[in-house]
Amino acid sequence: MFQLLGQLGQAENEIQMILQTLFSFAFIIYLFYAQRIQAMTMLRQIEVTLRKIKGLRDDGKEASIKTIREIGKPDRDPTPMVERFLEHFIIEPVGMDPAGVVQKLGKILNVRESTFEKEVDLMAPNATESEKNNMENLLEASLALNIFYKVIRHYYLLGKKTMNIYIIMQIHMILPMILEQIEAYSAALQAFQDGIPIGDSVGPIVAAKLINGTSTREVAKEMVAAEIEYEGRRVIVTKANGPGGTVGKPGDAITNIMNENKGKITMLITVDAAGMLEGEQVGEIAEGVGAAIGGPGVEKYKIELVATEHNVPMYAVAIKQGMEHVVAPLVQPLFEATDKAVASVKGLILDYSKEGDTIVVAGIGNTVGVAQ
Amino acid sequence: MKRMSGTTPTAGSASQNLLTLAAMILVGALALVSLYMGFRAYGDGEIETAFMYLIIGASGFIAIGYSFFRAKPPAKDTLEPKKYDVITTLECPQCNLKRVRNFQRGDYIFKRDEPCSRCDGQMVITAIHTKKEEKK
Repeated sequence: MFQLLGQLGQAENEIQMILQTLFSFAFIIYLFYAQRIQAMTMLRQIEVTLRKIKGLRDDGKEASIKTIREIGKPDRDPTPMVERFLEHFIIEPVGMDPAGVVQKLGKILNVRESTFEKEVDLMAPNATESEKNNMENLLEASLALNIFYKVIRHYYLLGKKTMNIYIIMQIHMILPMILEQIEAYSAALQAFQDGIPIGDSVGPIVAAKLINGTSTREVAKEMVAAEIEYEGRRVIVTKANGPGGTVGKPGDAITNIMNENKGKITMLITVDAAGMLEGEQVGEIAEGVGAAIGGPGVEKYKIELVATEHNVPMYAVAIKQGMEHVVAPLVQPLFEATDKAVASVKGLILDYSKEGDTIVVAGIGNTVGVAQ
Repeated sequence: MKRMSGTTPTAGSASQNLLTLAAMILVGALALVSLYMGFRAYGDGEIETAFMYLIIGASGFIAIGYSFFRAKPPAKDTLEPKKYDVITTLECPQCNLKRVRNFQRGDYIFKRDEPCSRCDGQMVITAIHTKKEEKK
Protein backbone atom coordinates (compact mmCIF):
# COMPACT_ATOMS: atom_id res chain seq x y z
CA MET A 1 0.00 0.00 0.00
CA PHE A 2 2.72 2.44 1.04
CA GLN A 3 4.74 1.36 -1.94
CA LEU A 4 1.79 2.17 -4.23
CA LEU A 5 1.31 5.61 -2.68
CA GLY A 6 5.02 6.23 -3.07
CA GLN A 7 4.79 5.39 -6.77
CA LEU A 8 1.85 7.77 -7.12
CA GLY A 9 3.81 10.52 -5.41
CA GLN A 10 6.66 9.93 -7.82
CA ALA A 11 4.27 10.09 -10.79
CA GLU A 12 2.84 13.31 -9.42
CA ASN A 13 6.28 14.87 -9.42
CA GLU A 14 6.76 13.84 -13.04
CA ILE A 15 3.40 15.35 -14.06
CA GLN A 16 4.39 18.53 -12.22
CA MET A 17 7.59 18.66 -14.17
CA ILE A 18 5.85 18.02 -17.51
CA LEU A 19 3.26 20.71 -16.84
CA GLN A 20 5.86 23.24 -15.83
CA THR A 21 7.93 22.48 -18.93
CA LEU A 22 4.87 22.81 -21.18
CA PHE A 23 3.88 26.05 -19.54
CA SER A 24 7.35 27.52 -19.94
CA PHE A 25 7.52 26.25 -23.50
CA ALA A 26 4.17 27.86 -24.37
CA PHE A 27 5.32 31.09 -22.79
CA ILE A 28 8.54 31.13 -24.80
CA ILE A 29 6.70 30.33 -28.06
CA TYR A 30 4.23 33.09 -27.42
CA LEU A 31 7.01 35.50 -26.55
CA PHE A 32 8.70 35.06 -29.91
CA TYR A 33 5.88 34.06 -32.24
CA ALA A 34 2.86 36.09 -31.01
CA GLN A 35 2.94 38.40 -34.02
CA ARG A 36 3.35 35.50 -36.42
CA ILE A 37 0.39 33.68 -34.86
CA GLN A 38 -1.68 36.86 -35.20
CA ALA A 39 -0.58 37.25 -38.84
CA MET A 40 -1.52 33.65 -39.58
CA THR A 41 -4.96 34.10 -37.98
CA MET A 42 -5.59 37.21 -40.08
CA LEU A 43 -4.32 35.51 -43.23
CA ARG A 44 -6.74 32.69 -42.64
CA GLN A 45 -9.66 35.11 -42.33
CA ILE A 46 -8.58 36.89 -45.55
CA GLU A 47 -8.27 33.50 -47.25
CA VAL A 48 -11.85 32.53 -46.37
CA THR A 49 -13.19 35.88 -47.60
CA LEU A 50 -11.10 35.63 -50.75
CA ARG A 51 -12.69 32.30 -51.53
CA LYS A 52 -16.14 33.84 -51.23
CA ILE A 53 -15.14 36.74 -53.47
CA LYS A 54 -13.80 34.31 -56.04
CA GLY A 55 -17.20 32.61 -56.08
CA LEU A 56 -18.94 35.91 -56.71
CA ARG A 57 -16.45 36.86 -59.41
CA ASP A 58 -17.10 33.54 -61.16
CA ASP A 59 -20.86 34.07 -60.84
CA GLY A 60 -20.49 37.46 -62.49
CA LYS A 61 -18.55 36.00 -65.37
CA GLU A 62 -21.03 33.17 -65.85
CA ALA A 63 -23.98 35.58 -65.69
CA SER A 64 -22.39 37.77 -68.36
CA ILE A 65 -21.71 34.85 -70.69
CA LYS A 66 -25.21 33.42 -70.15
CA THR A 67 -26.91 36.76 -70.85
CA ILE A 68 -24.84 37.40 -73.96
CA ARG A 69 -25.72 33.93 -75.26
CA GLU A 70 -29.43 34.36 -74.47
CA ILE A 71 -29.94 37.91 -75.72
CA GLY A 72 -27.11 38.61 -78.11
CA LYS A 73 -27.31 35.23 -79.87
CA PRO A 74 -23.69 35.44 -81.08
CA ASP A 75 -22.36 33.20 -83.85
CA ARG A 76 -19.36 32.14 -81.77
CA ASP A 77 -18.64 31.39 -78.15
CA PRO A 78 -18.42 34.73 -76.27
CA THR A 79 -16.32 33.30 -73.39
CA PRO A 80 -12.88 34.42 -74.66
CA MET A 81 -14.23 37.89 -75.40
CA VAL A 82 -15.79 38.16 -71.95
CA GLU A 83 -12.55 36.98 -70.36
CA ARG A 84 -10.66 39.63 -72.31
CA PHE A 85 -13.18 42.27 -71.28
CA LEU A 86 -12.82 41.38 -67.59
CA GLU A 87 -9.12 42.25 -67.76
CA HIS A 88 -9.75 45.70 -69.20
CA PHE A 89 -8.10 48.60 -67.36
CA ILE A 90 -7.93 52.37 -67.46
CA ILE A 91 -4.86 54.53 -66.97
CA GLU A 92 -5.76 57.84 -65.42
CA PRO A 93 -4.03 60.96 -66.75
CA VAL A 94 -0.99 62.34 -65.00
CA GLY A 95 -1.89 64.84 -62.29
CA MET A 96 1.50 66.55 -61.90
CA ASP A 97 0.32 69.38 -64.14
CA PRO A 98 -3.32 69.72 -63.07
CA ALA A 99 -4.31 72.22 -65.80
CA GLY A 100 -6.69 70.48 -68.18
CA VAL A 101 -6.66 67.18 -66.29
CA VAL A 102 -10.48 66.98 -66.35
CA GLN A 103 -10.56 67.24 -70.13
CA LYS A 104 -7.85 64.61 -70.38
CA LEU A 105 -9.77 62.29 -68.06
CA GLY A 106 -12.96 63.00 -70.02
CA LYS A 107 -11.21 62.03 -73.25
CA ILE A 108 -9.94 58.77 -71.74
CA LEU A 109 -13.41 57.95 -70.38
CA ASN A 110 -14.95 58.61 -73.80
CA VAL A 111 -12.48 56.21 -75.40
CA ARG A 112 -13.27 53.64 -72.71
CA GLU A 113 -16.98 54.05 -73.33
CA SER A 114 -16.67 53.66 -77.09
CA THR A 115 -14.38 50.64 -76.61
CA PHE A 116 -16.94 48.97 -74.36
CA GLU A 117 -19.71 49.74 -76.84
CA LYS A 118 -17.68 48.21 -79.65
CA GLU A 119 -16.85 45.13 -77.56
CA VAL A 120 -20.52 44.57 -76.71
CA ASP A 121 -21.47 45.10 -80.37
CA LEU A 122 -19.08 42.31 -81.30
CA MET A 123 -20.23 40.02 -78.49
CA ALA A 124 -23.97 40.50 -78.97
CA PRO A 125 -24.68 41.66 -82.53
CA ASN A 126 -28.37 40.74 -82.37
CA ALA A 127 -29.26 42.67 -79.21
CA THR A 128 -31.21 45.94 -79.23
CA GLU A 129 -29.56 49.19 -78.10
CA SER A 130 -31.20 48.96 -74.64
CA GLU A 131 -30.10 45.37 -74.23
CA LYS A 132 -26.58 46.29 -75.31
CA ASN A 133 -26.50 49.05 -72.70
CA ASN A 134 -27.65 46.61 -70.03
CA MET A 135 -25.04 44.08 -71.12
CA GLU A 136 -22.36 46.73 -70.99
CA ASN A 137 -23.36 47.51 -67.40
CA LEU A 138 -23.43 43.81 -66.56
CA LEU A 139 -19.93 43.38 -67.93
CA GLU A 140 -18.76 46.42 -65.99
CA ALA A 141 -20.15 44.94 -62.76
CA SER A 142 -18.33 41.67 -63.52
CA LEU A 143 -15.17 43.65 -64.29
CA ALA A 144 -15.43 45.41 -60.92
CA LEU A 145 -15.83 42.06 -59.13
CA ASN A 146 -12.77 40.73 -60.96
CA ILE A 147 -10.69 43.75 -59.95
CA PHE A 148 -11.79 43.43 -56.31
CA TYR A 149 -10.81 39.76 -56.33
CA LYS A 150 -7.44 40.37 -57.91
CA VAL A 151 -6.49 43.25 -55.60
CA ILE A 152 -7.42 41.32 -52.45
CA ARG A 153 -5.61 38.24 -53.75
CA HIS A 154 -2.55 40.40 -54.43
CA TYR A 155 -2.41 41.66 -50.83
CA TYR A 156 -3.14 38.21 -49.48
CA LEU A 157 -0.33 36.57 -51.43
CA LEU A 158 2.04 39.45 -50.74
CA GLY A 159 1.29 39.24 -47.02
CA LYS A 160 1.75 35.50 -47.07
CA LYS A 161 5.01 35.74 -48.95
CA THR A 162 6.55 38.39 -46.73
CA MET A 163 4.64 37.53 -43.51
CA ASN A 164 4.66 41.27 -42.97
CA ILE A 165 1.96 41.96 -40.42
CA TYR A 166 1.48 45.54 -41.64
CA ILE A 167 0.61 44.43 -45.17
CA ILE A 168 -1.74 41.77 -43.80
CA MET A 169 -3.35 44.17 -41.33
CA GLN A 170 -4.06 46.77 -44.02
CA ILE A 171 -6.23 44.43 -46.06
CA HIS A 172 -7.66 42.69 -42.98
CA MET A 173 -8.93 45.95 -41.50
CA ILE A 174 -10.78 47.14 -44.61
CA LEU A 175 -12.09 43.69 -45.55
CA PRO A 176 -15.64 44.14 -44.11
CA MET A 177 -16.13 47.39 -46.05
CA ILE A 178 -14.78 45.84 -49.24
CA LEU A 179 -17.05 42.83 -48.78
CA GLU A 180 -20.04 45.16 -48.50
CA GLN A 181 -19.12 46.76 -51.83
CA ILE A 182 -18.59 43.38 -53.44
CA GLU A 183 -21.99 42.16 -52.29
CA ALA A 184 -23.52 45.32 -53.76
CA TYR A 185 -21.87 44.64 -57.12
CA SER A 186 -23.04 41.03 -57.05
CA ALA A 187 -26.61 42.28 -56.54
CA ALA A 188 -26.16 44.41 -59.66
CA LEU A 189 -25.77 41.27 -61.76
CA GLN A 190 -29.48 40.41 -61.46
CA ALA A 191 -30.50 44.01 -62.16
CA PHE A 192 -28.45 44.38 -65.33
CA GLN A 193 -29.23 40.87 -66.54
CA ASP A 194 -32.96 41.58 -66.52
CA GLY A 195 -33.04 45.36 -66.92
CA ILE A 196 -34.44 46.07 -63.45
CA PRO A 197 -34.21 49.66 -62.13
CA ILE A 198 -31.51 50.04 -59.48
CA GLY A 199 -31.06 52.35 -56.49
CA ASP A 200 -29.14 54.80 -58.65
CA SER A 201 -32.15 55.03 -60.99
CA VAL A 202 -34.07 57.28 -58.58
CA GLY A 203 -32.83 60.46 -60.34
CA PRO A 204 -34.07 59.35 -63.79
CA ILE A 205 -37.36 58.13 -62.23
CA VAL A 206 -37.96 61.59 -60.74
CA ALA A 207 -37.19 63.19 -64.12
CA ALA A 208 -39.45 60.69 -65.92
CA LYS A 209 -42.28 61.42 -63.48
CA LEU A 210 -41.90 65.13 -64.20
CA ILE A 211 -41.78 64.52 -67.96
CA ASN A 212 -44.92 62.37 -67.60
CA GLY A 213 -45.16 61.31 -71.23
CA THR A 214 -44.27 64.65 -72.83
CA SER A 215 -42.31 64.25 -76.06
CA THR A 216 -38.55 64.30 -75.67
CA ARG A 217 -35.62 65.23 -77.90
CA GLU A 218 -31.97 64.23 -77.81
CA VAL A 219 -29.81 66.95 -76.27
CA ALA A 220 -26.50 65.12 -75.89
CA LYS A 221 -25.14 61.61 -76.26
CA GLU A 222 -27.66 59.24 -74.63
CA MET A 223 -29.45 62.21 -73.04
CA VAL A 224 -33.00 63.38 -73.67
CA ALA A 225 -34.88 66.48 -72.59
CA ALA A 226 -38.51 67.50 -72.45
CA GLU A 227 -40.18 70.84 -71.82
CA ILE A 228 -43.05 71.00 -69.37
CA GLU A 229 -45.02 73.83 -67.90
CA TYR A 230 -45.38 74.10 -64.13
CA GLU A 231 -47.22 76.94 -62.39
CA GLY A 232 -46.42 79.37 -65.19
CA ARG A 233 -42.76 78.34 -65.35
CA ARG A 234 -41.01 76.68 -68.25
CA VAL A 235 -39.23 73.60 -66.92
CA ILE A 236 -36.71 71.73 -69.06
CA VAL A 237 -36.25 68.24 -67.68
CA THR A 238 -33.32 66.11 -68.78
CA LYS A 239 -32.37 62.51 -68.07
CA ALA A 240 -30.42 59.67 -69.62
CA ASN A 241 -32.19 57.97 -72.51
CA GLY A 242 -33.88 54.84 -71.13
CA PRO A 243 -34.77 52.12 -70.64
CA GLY A 244 -31.30 50.72 -71.37
CA GLY A 245 -28.71 51.01 -68.62
CA THR A 246 -26.79 54.24 -69.13
CA VAL A 247 -25.96 57.37 -67.20
CA GLY A 248 -25.53 59.42 -70.36
CA LYS A 249 -23.64 62.70 -70.40
CA PRO A 250 -25.60 65.02 -68.11
CA GLY A 251 -22.80 67.58 -68.19
CA ASP A 252 -23.07 67.90 -71.96
CA ALA A 253 -26.87 67.92 -71.82
CA ILE A 254 -26.99 70.77 -69.27
CA THR A 255 -24.30 72.71 -71.17
CA ASN A 256 -26.26 72.41 -74.42
CA ILE A 257 -29.56 73.39 -72.78
CA MET A 258 -27.95 76.41 -71.08
CA ASN A 259 -26.26 77.52 -74.30
CA GLU A 260 -29.48 77.06 -76.32
CA ASN A 261 -31.24 79.35 -73.84
CA LYS A 262 -28.30 81.77 -73.85
CA GLY A 263 -27.91 81.31 -70.13
CA LYS A 264 -31.38 82.69 -69.39
CA ILE A 265 -32.02 80.00 -66.81
CA THR A 266 -33.26 80.94 -63.34
CA MET A 267 -32.13 77.83 -61.58
CA LEU A 268 -30.67 74.39 -62.13
CA ILE A 269 -31.87 71.49 -59.98
CA THR A 270 -30.03 68.20 -59.99
CA VAL A 271 -31.64 65.12 -58.45
CA ASP A 272 -29.45 62.18 -57.56
CA ALA A 273 -28.99 59.26 -55.20
CA ALA A 274 -26.73 60.09 -52.27
CA GLY A 275 -24.95 57.94 -49.74
CA MET A 276 -26.68 57.87 -46.39
CA LEU A 277 -24.96 58.04 -43.05
CA GLU A 278 -25.53 55.34 -40.46
CA GLY A 279 -28.73 56.16 -38.62
CA GLU A 280 -30.41 57.82 -41.59
CA GLN A 281 -33.40 56.17 -43.26
CA VAL A 282 -33.39 54.72 -46.76
CA GLY A 283 -35.30 57.09 -49.02
CA GLU A 284 -34.83 60.22 -46.93
CA ILE A 285 -34.88 63.38 -49.03
CA ALA A 286 -32.46 66.22 -48.45
CA GLU A 287 -32.19 69.53 -50.25
CA GLY A 288 -28.98 71.43 -50.73
CA VAL A 289 -26.96 73.50 -53.13
CA GLY A 290 -24.38 72.53 -55.72
CA ALA A 291 -24.32 69.86 -58.40
CA ALA A 292 -25.65 66.51 -57.14
CA ILE A 293 -23.73 64.11 -59.33
CA GLY A 294 -21.18 61.40 -58.61
CA GLY A 295 -18.76 59.60 -60.88
CA PRO A 296 -15.20 60.51 -61.78
CA GLY A 297 -16.00 64.24 -61.74
CA VAL A 298 -15.91 65.07 -65.44
CA GLU A 299 -19.67 65.64 -65.77
CA LYS A 300 -19.80 67.53 -62.47
CA TYR A 301 -17.02 69.80 -63.72
CA LYS A 302 -18.97 70.55 -66.91
CA ILE A 303 -22.13 71.39 -64.94
CA GLU A 304 -20.29 73.65 -62.51
CA LEU A 305 -18.44 75.34 -65.35
CA VAL A 306 -21.53 76.18 -67.41
CA ALA A 307 -23.55 77.20 -64.35
CA THR A 308 -20.78 79.55 -63.25
CA GLU A 309 -20.39 80.92 -66.78
CA HIS A 310 -24.10 81.80 -66.96
CA ASN A 311 -24.40 82.67 -63.28
CA VAL A 312 -27.10 80.07 -62.68
CA PRO A 313 -27.70 79.00 -59.06
CA MET A 314 -27.49 75.26 -58.53
CA TYR A 315 -29.84 73.41 -56.21
CA ALA A 316 -29.67 69.75 -55.36
CA VAL A 317 -32.12 67.11 -54.19
CA ALA A 318 -30.57 63.99 -52.72
CA ILE A 319 -32.32 60.68 -52.17
CA LYS A 320 -30.49 58.86 -49.40
CA GLN A 321 -29.51 55.23 -49.75
CA GLY A 322 -26.91 52.80 -48.50
CA MET A 323 -24.03 51.43 -50.48
CA GLU A 324 -25.90 48.12 -50.75
CA HIS A 325 -28.79 49.81 -52.56
CA VAL A 326 -26.98 51.80 -55.23
CA VAL A 327 -26.57 49.08 -57.84
CA ALA A 328 -29.01 46.53 -56.40
CA PRO A 329 -32.58 46.21 -57.71
CA LEU A 330 -34.65 49.18 -56.55
CA VAL A 331 -36.23 48.68 -53.13
CA GLN A 332 -39.75 49.87 -52.34
CA PRO A 333 -38.79 52.71 -49.93
CA LEU A 334 -36.58 54.19 -52.63
CA PHE A 335 -39.28 53.96 -55.26
CA GLU A 336 -41.71 55.66 -52.87
CA ALA A 337 -39.09 58.32 -52.15
CA THR A 338 -39.16 59.41 -55.81
CA ASP A 339 -42.65 60.91 -55.24
CA LYS A 340 -41.30 62.87 -52.29
CA ALA A 341 -38.37 64.01 -54.44
CA VAL A 342 -40.78 65.19 -57.17
CA ALA A 343 -42.63 67.22 -54.51
CA SER A 344 -39.31 68.58 -53.29
CA VAL A 345 -38.31 69.69 -56.81
CA LYS A 346 -41.67 71.37 -57.30
CA GLY A 347 -41.29 73.09 -53.92
CA LEU A 348 -37.85 74.42 -54.88
CA ILE A 349 -39.22 75.71 -58.20
CA LEU A 350 -42.06 77.56 -56.45
CA ASP A 351 -39.81 78.96 -53.72
CA TYR A 352 -36.92 80.17 -55.84
CA SER A 353 -38.46 81.18 -59.18
CA LYS A 354 -41.34 83.24 -60.45
CA GLU A 355 -43.81 82.86 -63.31
CA GLY A 356 -42.22 83.10 -66.75
CA ASP A 357 -38.85 81.80 -65.55
CA THR A 358 -37.02 78.90 -67.17
CA ILE A 359 -35.73 76.14 -64.93
CA VAL A 360 -33.57 73.12 -65.74
CA VAL A 361 -34.10 69.90 -63.83
CA ALA A 362 -31.67 67.01 -64.33
CA GLY A 363 -32.38 63.49 -63.09
CA ILE A 364 -28.90 62.07 -62.59
CA GLY A 365 -28.17 58.35 -62.47
CA ASN A 366 -28.42 55.10 -64.34
CA THR A 367 -31.69 54.85 -66.22
CA VAL A 368 -31.79 51.05 -66.44
CA GLY A 369 -35.42 49.93 -66.60
CA VAL A 370 -36.73 53.51 -66.73
CA ALA A 371 -38.11 55.02 -69.92
CA GLN A 372 -39.39 58.59 -70.23
CA MET B 1 -0.03 27.45 -44.98
CA LYS B 2 2.31 26.19 -47.67
CA ARG B 3 -0.50 24.42 -49.46
CA MET B 4 -1.99 27.79 -50.33
CA SER B 5 0.36 28.22 -53.25
CA GLY B 6 -0.93 29.36 -56.59
CA THR B 7 -3.99 31.50 -56.86
CA THR B 8 -6.85 29.39 -55.59
CA PRO B 9 -7.60 29.78 -51.92
CA THR B 10 -8.33 26.48 -50.25
CA ALA B 11 -8.68 27.35 -46.59
CA GLY B 12 -11.18 26.09 -44.07
CA SER B 13 -10.50 22.44 -44.78
CA ALA B 14 -11.71 19.66 -42.48
CA SER B 15 -8.12 18.84 -41.47
CA GLN B 16 -7.68 22.33 -40.09
CA ASN B 17 -10.87 22.01 -38.05
CA LEU B 18 -9.70 18.66 -36.70
CA LEU B 19 -6.39 20.21 -35.71
CA THR B 20 -8.18 22.94 -33.77
CA LEU B 21 -10.34 20.34 -32.05
CA ALA B 22 -7.29 18.25 -31.14
CA ALA B 23 -5.55 21.32 -29.72
CA MET B 24 -8.59 22.14 -27.64
CA ILE B 25 -8.81 18.58 -26.28
CA LEU B 26 -5.12 18.70 -25.36
CA VAL B 27 -5.50 22.05 -23.58
CA GLY B 28 -8.60 20.69 -21.81
CA ALA B 29 -6.76 17.58 -20.63
CA LEU B 30 -3.82 19.62 -19.39
CA ALA B 31 -6.14 22.05 -17.64
CA LEU B 32 -7.93 19.15 -15.97
CA VAL B 33 -4.67 17.63 -14.75
CA SER B 34 -3.54 21.05 -13.56
CA LEU B 35 -6.73 21.55 -11.58
CA TYR B 36 -6.36 18.10 -10.06
CA MET B 37 -2.80 18.92 -9.07
CA GLY B 38 -3.94 22.22 -7.65
CA PHE B 39 -6.55 20.59 -5.42
CA ARG B 40 -4.08 17.97 -4.33
CA ALA B 41 -1.54 20.63 -3.44
CA TYR B 42 -4.19 22.58 -1.57
CA GLY B 43 -5.09 19.47 0.40
CA ASP B 44 -1.43 19.07 1.30
CA GLY B 45 -1.30 22.65 2.50
CA GLU B 46 1.00 23.88 -0.29
CA ILE B 47 -0.99 27.00 -0.92
CA GLU B 48 1.42 28.71 -3.35
CA THR B 49 1.80 25.64 -5.57
CA ALA B 50 -1.95 25.04 -5.44
CA PHE B 51 -2.61 28.62 -6.48
CA MET B 52 -0.30 28.29 -9.49
CA TYR B 53 -1.91 25.06 -10.67
CA LEU B 54 -5.42 26.33 -10.16
CA ILE B 55 -4.62 29.46 -12.15
CA ILE B 56 -3.19 27.36 -15.01
CA GLY B 57 -6.19 25.00 -14.95
CA ALA B 58 -8.72 27.79 -14.85
CA SER B 59 -6.91 29.66 -17.65
CA GLY B 60 -7.08 26.53 -19.79
CA PHE B 61 -10.84 26.25 -19.35
CA ILE B 62 -11.32 29.96 -19.90
CA ALA B 63 -9.35 29.68 -23.15
CA ILE B 64 -11.54 26.78 -24.30
CA GLY B 65 -14.71 28.62 -23.34
CA TYR B 66 -13.54 31.73 -25.17
CA SER B 67 -12.78 29.69 -28.29
CA PHE B 68 -16.30 28.22 -28.23
CA PHE B 69 -17.76 31.67 -27.64
CA ARG B 70 -15.86 33.10 -30.58
CA ALA B 71 -16.55 30.15 -32.84
CA LYS B 72 -19.00 31.05 -35.62
CA PRO B 73 -21.13 28.60 -37.53
CA PRO B 74 -19.03 27.08 -40.30
CA ALA B 75 -18.71 29.63 -43.08
CA LYS B 76 -20.21 28.66 -46.40
CA ASP B 77 -17.69 27.87 -49.05
CA THR B 78 -19.17 30.40 -51.42
CA LEU B 79 -21.18 33.55 -51.11
CA GLU B 80 -24.26 33.37 -53.30
CA PRO B 81 -25.39 36.61 -54.94
CA LYS B 82 -28.61 37.72 -53.28
CA LYS B 83 -31.66 37.10 -55.48
CA TYR B 84 -34.38 39.69 -55.21
CA ASP B 85 -38.08 39.16 -55.82
CA VAL B 86 -39.08 42.02 -58.08
CA ILE B 87 -42.64 43.11 -58.78
CA THR B 88 -44.13 45.21 -61.54
CA THR B 89 -47.14 47.47 -61.00
CA LEU B 90 -49.35 48.22 -63.99
CA GLU B 91 -52.01 50.91 -64.09
CA CYS B 92 -54.63 51.76 -66.65
CA PRO B 93 -54.62 55.52 -67.30
CA GLN B 94 -58.28 55.40 -68.35
CA CYS B 95 -60.03 53.41 -65.63
CA ASN B 96 -57.25 53.46 -62.98
CA LEU B 97 -57.25 49.68 -62.71
CA LYS B 98 -54.13 48.59 -60.86
CA ARG B 99 -52.47 45.22 -61.19
CA VAL B 100 -49.34 43.81 -59.63
CA ARG B 101 -47.40 40.91 -61.08
CA ASN B 102 -43.92 39.44 -60.96
CA PHE B 103 -41.27 41.25 -62.98
CA GLN B 104 -40.62 39.88 -66.44
CA ARG B 105 -37.55 40.56 -68.54
CA GLY B 106 -38.41 43.44 -70.87
CA ASP B 107 -40.47 45.36 -68.31
CA TYR B 108 -39.53 48.98 -67.72
CA ILE B 109 -41.14 51.95 -66.02
CA PHE B 110 -43.55 53.84 -68.33
CA LYS B 111 -43.77 50.94 -70.78
CA ARG B 112 -47.17 50.61 -72.41
CA ASP B 113 -47.73 46.98 -71.71
CA GLU B 114 -50.77 44.76 -71.92
CA PRO B 115 -54.37 45.77 -72.71
CA CYS B 116 -56.58 46.64 -69.76
CA SER B 117 -58.91 43.84 -68.74
CA ARG B 118 -61.65 46.29 -67.67
CA CYS B 119 -61.70 48.89 -70.45
CA ASP B 120 -60.19 49.42 -73.91
CA GLY B 121 -57.16 51.20 -72.54
CA GLN B 122 -53.60 50.00 -72.44
CA MET B 123 -51.93 49.45 -69.11
CA VAL B 124 -48.74 51.31 -68.31
CA ILE B 125 -46.01 50.06 -65.99
CA THR B 126 -45.85 52.62 -63.21
CA ALA B 127 -43.53 50.95 -60.73
CA ILE B 128 -40.86 48.28 -60.56
CA HIS B 129 -39.27 47.48 -57.25
CA THR B 130 -38.37 44.61 -54.98
CA LYS B 131 -40.95 42.96 -52.75
CA LYS B 132 -41.00 44.29 -49.22
CA GLU B 133 -38.91 41.96 -47.10
CA GLU B 134 -40.82 40.52 -44.18
CA LYS B 135 -39.20 41.23 -40.87
CA LYS B 136 -38.02 38.08 -39.17
